Amino acid sequence: MRVKNFATPLLVVIGIAITFALSYYGLVNAYYLQIAQYVGIYTIMVLGINLVNGYLGIFSLGHAGIMAVGAYTSGLLSKYVLTDPALFPLCILLGATAALISGFVISIPSFKVRGDYLAIITLGFTLILKSLLQNMEFVGGARGLRNIPGNTNIMWVFIWLVIAIAAVRLFINSKYGRSTMAIREDEIAAELVSVNIKKTKIVVFGFSAFLIGVSGGLLSHLLSYTNPNTFGYAMIAEGLIMVYLGGMASISGSFLGAALWTLLVEILRPLGVWRWIVGAVLLIIIMIFRPSGLLGGRELNIGAFLRQITRRDSAKAALEVANGGK
Amino acid sequence: MAESNAAPILTLQNVCMYFGGVRAVDDLSLEVYHNEIVGIIGPNGAGKTTVFNVLSGVYIPTSGDIFFRGERLNELPPHTIISNGIARTFQNIRLFAKLSVLDNVRVAFFGHIRYSLVDTFLNTRAKRDEEAAIREEALRLLEVFGLADKAALPAANLPYGDQRRLEIARALACKPQVLLLDEPAAGMNPNEIDELNRTIVRLRERFDLTILLVEHQMRLVMGICERVLVMNFGRKLALGTPVEIRNNPEVLEAYLGKVRR
Repeated sequence: MRVKNFATPLLVVIGIAITFALSYYGLVNAYYLQIAQYVGIYTIMVLGINLVNGYLGIFSLGHAGIMAVGAYTSGLLSKYVLTDPALFPLCILLGATAALISGFVISIPSFKVRGDYLAIITLGFTLILKSLLQNMEFVGGARGLRNIPGNTNIMWVFIWLVIAIAAVRLFINSKYGRSTMAIREDEIAAELVSVNIKKTKIVVFGFSAFLIGVSGGLLSHLLSYTNPNTFGYAMIAEGLIMVYLGGMASISGSFLGAALWTLLVEILRPLGVWRWIVGAVLLIIIMIFRPSGLLGGRELNIGAFLRQITRRDSAKAALEVANGGK
Repeated sequence: MAESNAAPILTLQNVCMYFGGVRAVDDLSLEVYHNEIVGIIGPNGAGKTTVFNVLSGVYIPTSGDIFFRGERLNELPPHTIISNGIARTFQNIRLFAKLSVLDNVRVAFFGHIRYSLVDTFLNTRAKRDEEAAIREEALRLLEVFGLADKAALPAANLPYGDQRRLEIARALACKPQVLLLDEPAAGMNPNEIDELNRTIVRLRERFDLTILLVEHQMRLVMGICERVLVMNFGRKLALGTPVEIRNNPEVLEAYLGKVRR
C-alpha cells in the first residue's frame, strides 16, 4: 500500500520530466507529438462528457458549445490580456471557469426536462453559441480567432490530463460520485434516500463543463486559431463517438476512446472522406456488440486484476474491482 | 425515549391529496407515537401508498398539515424530509440496479455526510476519515441483514428476498426516526413473513424506530402492529388495535370479510 502511495506521484513527476524534455528539445517527430497532444486533449474532453452522459446518465449534446466557451475565452485572454506565456495556465483556468458557468446554465433545464427533450435543449445551446460566435466581429466572426499564441505543448497537456484524471477519480469515489450514479439508476429513489438532486446535477454539469473548457483552451492554443465551425455537429458527433467507443462511466475508457479514435482518424487519413464512413461503421459494430463501450462501467485496474487472478483474498479483490480500486 | 412518549412524533391533520377529481387521500388525521408500529391497510386504491408519498414529500398535500417532531413538513423537498429523519422503502423495489450492494447503502448516507466538494477534490483527511467510517457503518448495516458477503455484487444480481432486505438496509442508512415500509412482505411466503415480523420488531429495538407499514398480508399486520389504520376510498374507516379492527363490522364488510379464509 505504501509503495503504491509513493509510486503515483513519482510516475507523475517522471511523466512531467519526460514531456518537458519532449516539448523543449524536439526529441520526437513533431507529427507524433501533435497526435499525442490530441489524444490528451480529447481524453480531458471525453472525461468531461462522460461525467454527464456516462455517470449521470443524461444525454447531453452541449459539449461542443461548452468547448467553444473554453477555447474562445482562453484564446482571447492570452491574445489580448494575459499575453505573457507564463500566464498560460491562468488563461486555461479562466477559460475553463467561463465554461463552468455555462455548465451551470445548462444544468438548469435538467431539473425538469429529461430524455430527448433535454438533448434538444443542449443541442440548441451548442447551435446558438456557434451562431453567436459567427456573428460577433470582435471574436473574428465566421473567420474565427487567429494568432492565438501556440502555448500548448505536450507537457501542459500531460499536466492537465493528470489533474483531470485525479479530479474525476476523487469525485467518483466520493459521496457526489455515488449520488451521481444513483440519479442515473433511479432519480426518484435517489431523492428518497436523501440525495440532493439539484445540487448534484449542478455540481456534475459544472465539473463536466470545466474539464471540457480546459480541453477547448488547450486545443485553441495548440492550433493557434479557432473558429465557430470547429464546434458544430462534427465535434458533437466525435465527442459522443469517443465516449461510446471507450466506455460509458469509465475513466480508463475515456482515454481508450480518445486514443483509439484519434489514431484511427490519422491511420485512415489516406482514405480521405471515406474514413468517416469507416469510423461510423466501427461505431455501429461496437453499438451492436458492446452497447456501453469497450470498458463500459468498468476500469482497467491492473493491481486488483492480478490479485483476483492469483486468488489471494479474492473476495476483497473483487470488492476492490467493484469499487473501481480504492 | 420516555419523554417523547407524551407528544406524537408524527401528526397528520386533515390531510387531503386530490389529483384532479380523484380524492386519493381525503381528510385523514392520524397521530403516531414514538416507538409504535402502525399498520395501514385497505383495499387496492384506498390511498395507502399516497399517504407515504405525501409523508416523504413526493407529493405536496392539497390541504392539511403534517408535523414531524412538532415541525411542519408540508412544502419541504423530499431529500430534506429524509435527512430530517423519515425514510421509506418502495412497493415495487427501486434499488440502484447497477451499483454494488455496498454503494446502494452508501448513497443513502448523503444527507448526513459533512465533507464538502473542496474536501472531495483535495482528498482531505476529513473526507478520507468520513468515507472510512461510512464504509464501516454500511458494512455493519449489511451484516444485520446478512448481506455483508454480497457487498460487492451489483444489486440487480441479488435474489428477490435479498433485494427487499437491501431496500430496508438502504432506508436505515438514512438514519431515520420514522421508517415507512411499503408492502415489505409482498411476494413472500408465510415462513418468510414470520421471519420478516421478527426482523421488523428487532429493528425497532435496535434503531429506536417508529414504524409505519402499508401491507396486504394480514399475517404481518395482525402479528406485529400495535395499531392499525384502515383506509377505504382515501378516508379513514377505522383506527384501533388489531383485535378491535378484526371485530369491527364495518371493516369486515369493506375489506377483511372478503380476505378471511
